[in-house]
Amino acid sequence: MAADGTTRTEKFPFGIASVGLGEVDRQVPIDEPPPLAPNAELAVIGKPIPRQNGRAKVTGATRFTVDVTLPGMLYGKILRSPLPHAEIRAIDVSAAARHPGVCAVLPVARSDDPSASVVRYIGAPVAAIAAVTMAAAEEALRLIRVDYNLLPFVVDVDKARESTAPLVHDSGSVPPGHASGFPAPTGLPLNGNVRGPAVASRGDVAQGFAQAGVVVEGEYRTQVQTHCCMEPHAIVADWRPDGLTVYMSTQFTAGVRHELAAEFGLPLSRVRVVVDGMGGGFGSKSMLSKYGRVAVALSRQAQAPVRIALDREEEQMDSGNRPGTWQRLRIGARRDGSLTAISLVGYGTAGVGLGAGVGNIAQALYACPNFETAQFDVFTNAGPGCAMRGPGNTPGAWGLEQAIDELALRLSIDPVVLRDRIDPSPVRREERRIGADRIGWQHRHAPGADPGPIKRGLGVAQSLWGANVQINSACEVRVMRDGSVEVLSGVQDIGTGIGTVLAQVVAEVFGLRPEDIAIRIGDTDFPAGPPSYGSRTTASITPPARTAAWRVLQELYREAALALNAATGDLTASAGRIFVRDEPSRGMNFGEAAARLRTDQISAVASRSDDYGGFRRRMGDAALAEQDLGGVQFAQVAVDTETGIIRVERVVAVQDCGRPINPLQIESQVQGGVLMGLSYALYENRILDQHTGRMVNPNLEQYKLAGPREAPAIDVVVLENYQGQSATDAYGIAEPSNIATAPAIANAVYNAIGVRLRSTPMTPAAVFAALGKVPSGSQ
Amino acid sequence: MNSFAWASARTIAEAATAATTTVSDAMVASPDAIDGGTKSVVKAGGIDLLDLLKENLLTPGTVVSLKEVPGLDAVAEEQGGGLRIGSMATLANLAGHPVLRRFYPALADAIQGSASPQLRNVATLGGNLLQRPRCWYLRATEFHCLRKGGGHCFAISGENQYHAIFNNRPCAIVHPSTAATVLVALGASVELTNAEGSVRRLLLEDFFVAADTDVQRENDLSAQEILTAVLLPPVPASLHMAHLRQGEKESFDWPLADVAVVLELDRDGSCKRASIVLGAAAPVPYRATAAEAVLAGKRIDESAVREAGHAALAGATPLDKNAYKLPLFEALVRRAVLKALA
Amino acid sequence: MVDAVSAFIGQQAAAEGSSLTALGPGAVPISLKVNGVAQTLQVEPRMTLAEALRGPLGLTGTKVACDRGACSACTVWLDGTTVCSCMTLAVEVAGRSVTTIEGLANGSQLHPVQAAFIEHDALQCGFCTPGMVMSCAALLERSPDPTAEEVQRAISGHICRCGTYPHVVAATLAAAKA
Repeated sequence: MAADGTTRTEKFPFGIASVGLGEVDRQVPIDEPPPLAPNAELAVIGKPIPRQNGRAKVTGATRFTVDVTLPGMLYGKILRSPLPHAEIRAIDVSAAARHPGVCAVLPVARSDDPSASVVRYIGAPVAAIAAVTMAAAEEALRLIRVDYNLLPFVVDVDKARESTAPLVHDSGSVPPGHASGFPAPTGLPLNGNVRGPAVASRGDVAQGFAQAGVVVEGEYRTQVQTHCCMEPHAIVADWRPDGLTVYMSTQFTAGVRHELAAEFGLPLSRVRVVVDGMGGGFGSKSMLSKYGRVAVALSRQAQAPVRIALDREEEQMDSGNRPGTWQRLRIGARRDGSLTAISLVGYGTAGVGLGAGVGNIAQALYACPNFETAQFDVFTNAGPGCAMRGPGNTPGAWGLEQAIDELALRLSIDPVVLRDRIDPSPVRREERRIGADRIGWQHRHAPGADPGPIKRGLGVAQSLWGANVQINSACEVRVMRDGSVEVLSGVQDIGTGIGTVLAQVVAEVFGLRPEDIAIRIGDTDFPAGPPSYGSRTTASITPPARTAAWRVLQELYREAALALNAATGDLTASAGRIFVRDEPSRGMNFGEAAARLRTDQISAVASRSDDYGGFRRRMGDAALAEQDLGGVQFAQVAVDTETGIIRVERVVAVQDCGRPINPLQIESQVQGGVLMGLSYALYENRILDQHTGRMVNPNLEQYKLAGPREAPAIDVVVLENYQGQSATDAYGIAEPSNIATAPAIANAVYNAIGVRLRSTPMTPAAVFAALGKVPSGSQ
Repeated sequence: MNSFAWASARTIAEAATAATTTVSDAMVASPDAIDGGTKSVVKAGGIDLLDLLKENLLTPGTVVSLKEVPGLDAVAEEQGGGLRIGSMATLANLAGHPVLRRFYPALADAIQGSASPQLRNVATLGGNLLQRPRCWYLRATEFHCLRKGGGHCFAISGENQYHAIFNNRPCAIVHPSTAATVLVALGASVELTNAEGSVRRLLLEDFFVAADTDVQRENDLSAQEILTAVLLPPVPASLHMAHLRQGEKESFDWPLADVAVVLELDRDGSCKRASIVLGAAAPVPYRATAAEAVLAGKRIDESAVREAGHAALAGATPLDKNAYKLPLFEALVRRAVLKALA
Repeated sequence: MVDAVSAFIGQQAAAEGSSLTALGPGAVPISLKVNGVAQTLQVEPRMTLAEALRGPLGLTGTKVACDRGACSACTVWLDGTTVCSCMTLAVEVAGRSVTTIEGLANGSQLHPVQAAFIEHDALQCGFCTPGMVMSCAALLERSPDPTAEEVQRAISGHICRCGTYPHVVAATLAAAKA
């Protein structure tokens, strides 16, 4: 490659900083910047910079989608199915259409269209209204007459698997699904409500088990978790003759723009998607979604802007959820711990949707020559699942990491030592070392050893997540003649602080302060940004930001070089100045250089190039980096065996994300991942009434989320793991930080009480059942 | 939320006259009326009322506020001991009230543990005692349950993990007030004033209505009657008390179980009288008489404590998903007795 | 003492008030103070304080997330104490004083809690942040030097799905020292 003149060879820092850094040669495109030094040598990258939109957020000035008001804006509201499975014989909207204040009426389900005449879960959209006030829309909604023919239904996943169960789908009605984080495989057989299997294998599992000295086998279950974004799903759609503008609480402005263009037959140039403040998504705001389509259709019909914001009950019933799973894991090992075989069967339910697997963590985390898995989707008459923070691998780790803990016990090998033997990752080895030291692993006692009713325990579990990259990611950097700097991209800040990260990356290039960089993001008028899902935002958009800034800087150097009578190659930018590297006094302020520009602004747009060491896999606009993201978490719990209450006292989370750019924001995200995992392990549960199919806790009161007093002390350690893969070498953190928490807590609970809890959530009922204090059905 | 008119009473008489129905009656009368409500309900702090209004479980014609009635939030020590708490006293004021903290610490603890700081700033003791249960079937219009005039309890064969383990037929709600658990244990009374100004006083324990007596209400409040005060009996130095609650979470959550223990001890340390009440156990605060009997007349030692915990469960009829409450209550009773003695 | 109160209440009841005048259900005028500024607006009795702030008053800093008092995102100060504005009717705050997140800073000078939230990164998506800030600032008003546990108790009605609780506690403790 170097021979054709498009790349050059560069030496990059390589390895884990706390272990010791080496170097690696990489081929770098000639129009990309030189290697970035390790964080210790940098001015702003790697520093805990306060977030750039913090002031707006603490003063209430940030404009979230629910805060957007346009002149003449109408209020949209969706009529939802009260029945879990019904054929719609007729919909009469005439009275609703006549109601004062109503401007548009839209049937969503249709009695005359076989593909749209059946509703399959409570909360499924049936029709929609746009009116001048919310009250008028709600009143009109009650005037819509729907003639339903109730069909047999099933909401329990075990019952749905029975051959006599009522059928949720026919082969034609199975929707595409993304609950696993990726498009569900197509063409799998459908038997009753069970679709699959999706299979993967290597080696010879039967032979592997024959070689095993010890085999552990267990069944693990996880509940359905809902996303509970604090800002509801919301959109303001403004359809005009010259184009469509949509304000939407979305994780992917560019993706929604594509969906809108395709759905409504518009050129991309006539569709604009905007998001400023974005109140949490966690996977559920990745796509346009039905409510988004409804809002745009209503706006087109009414010729006025239409706002739809889901209420909390709609959020809980129909904005996606993390599918429930059941898995049976068998793991065989030799006496020295080396794994000989892993067999995994999974059945999950994403309600009427697809993608309820347990991921690839059992397949990929440990060295094991023989592996097989068969995973099935089970349809139930419940709201469709969608991707949620670490889809697949989060429930997958719940099973795998408990099974490995059990294996360690059976082998009489310390769980950390066992992982040292079977986990090939040098990164996680270092993470285990640091974490074990911080939690005081050497003081861990035998299971159930505490004498009193309150028993403490320590547990460990590991995380695995692909380092995703969106190739289709671009960023523009502008320098103005007054020396001010602007960064522009469609990328959205969903709370992770990507704007601040971009400011740091660009400031580092220019030798400026992060607060000198104006950040304009969340708007498809700017170069298309990556989605904020799959933990890929930082990996995708920071390299093009640095590259664009570097290219602009070269242009600025040319002006400065003329004035300084120096060669551009001898110049450097630091501490607000541009100067001759070996003769710092020969230079000028950044602003003075900018003032010499021939035009008011100069600009460069860069897009994400391939990882310098190549990708493991390309999938359309996305790619998977060679190295995985890891993370090891240790938990300390106290179990009150008389009340059944599990209290998580402490979590040590040791994570990696390539080059950490903003340790303060990373710490925030890791704490968030830990708390979401803790909440999943102990509290959250979407509860459906089996007789009616209705969710009985569609709120934030009886759907229980960990609150401030459930937060343990969380010790966050982030490795610097340099791989020389891009202009920033930075990757994501959000999902890997969520995956290991629940099984780490479960393993700590086992260590505390000597009994294993294999289902989430670990309620007092479950603890008592495990301890034999109540019958196991009573939870 | 449906439309309603607003009135602010300045006197008890105004409020009582205007209160043409109780919340319980109104929820039976018009389960799905849209704007049909013509009757008036009374609002104290309004936390529960707004919840019911927002869920369209209640569609009154008029909401009558008690906030402007002077003196209804007064807390006053009675001559000869005891405390009179105006029904409009907020939970926040009561939780921090020096007299409560000193003489009725179990009550202060129970109130401090209720709801959230924001809600305690607004919610009143009267409203807390009169709030409707949190049963998720009661709280959704889609379930026309017994308590709303329907013919069926959905919880008994449904999702009953948070429901009653005692007296749970024909309806398995649990009473939502933790303050009530302590108040019943203390032998507190309520004062009810009607439009004519006549006052009736009865023990709080007698004010509550069991599910098998009348499944459509939890208390004996009548239309055109205002709960004006809660009266606490005096506490001699020989009285020892404790309240413990256990939620799944320590942050804002409803208790899975709560226990109030009031012990009257002789000078020699033996127990003259024990009052043990379980909350979140039954449709009304549940007096664990068998446990009380275990302690009465005894010096309370370790085995008596254990026996009391066990006896507290006598007669329990747990449902499919709430048997876990049995060991939980057993532990809480033991711990509450020990805490009261400490 | 109690007898006196009792007698007073009895008298009131016996006085037999003339029939009570009801307002609404259409819009009625109310006057109140919001962030120190007198405001008069028309509200239906069913309108919540949160709706009044976010709608006619244009103060969208106050957020509604659960709309049932279960998450405290909508927290404002009513005469200096924290309340859930989603569980407060606008009509009942007539004559009272409301402070929202927009009114917390002193001009461009942030409240110490706001400054500490930025410095300690006590926010992620920021949707629960205004309510969280109002609770923490209220705590410091009445308890200038709280313990970590007191901060946790003060925010125990708040839900933050991003999981900012540890940084919120750290920020509030730091603000107290500031």
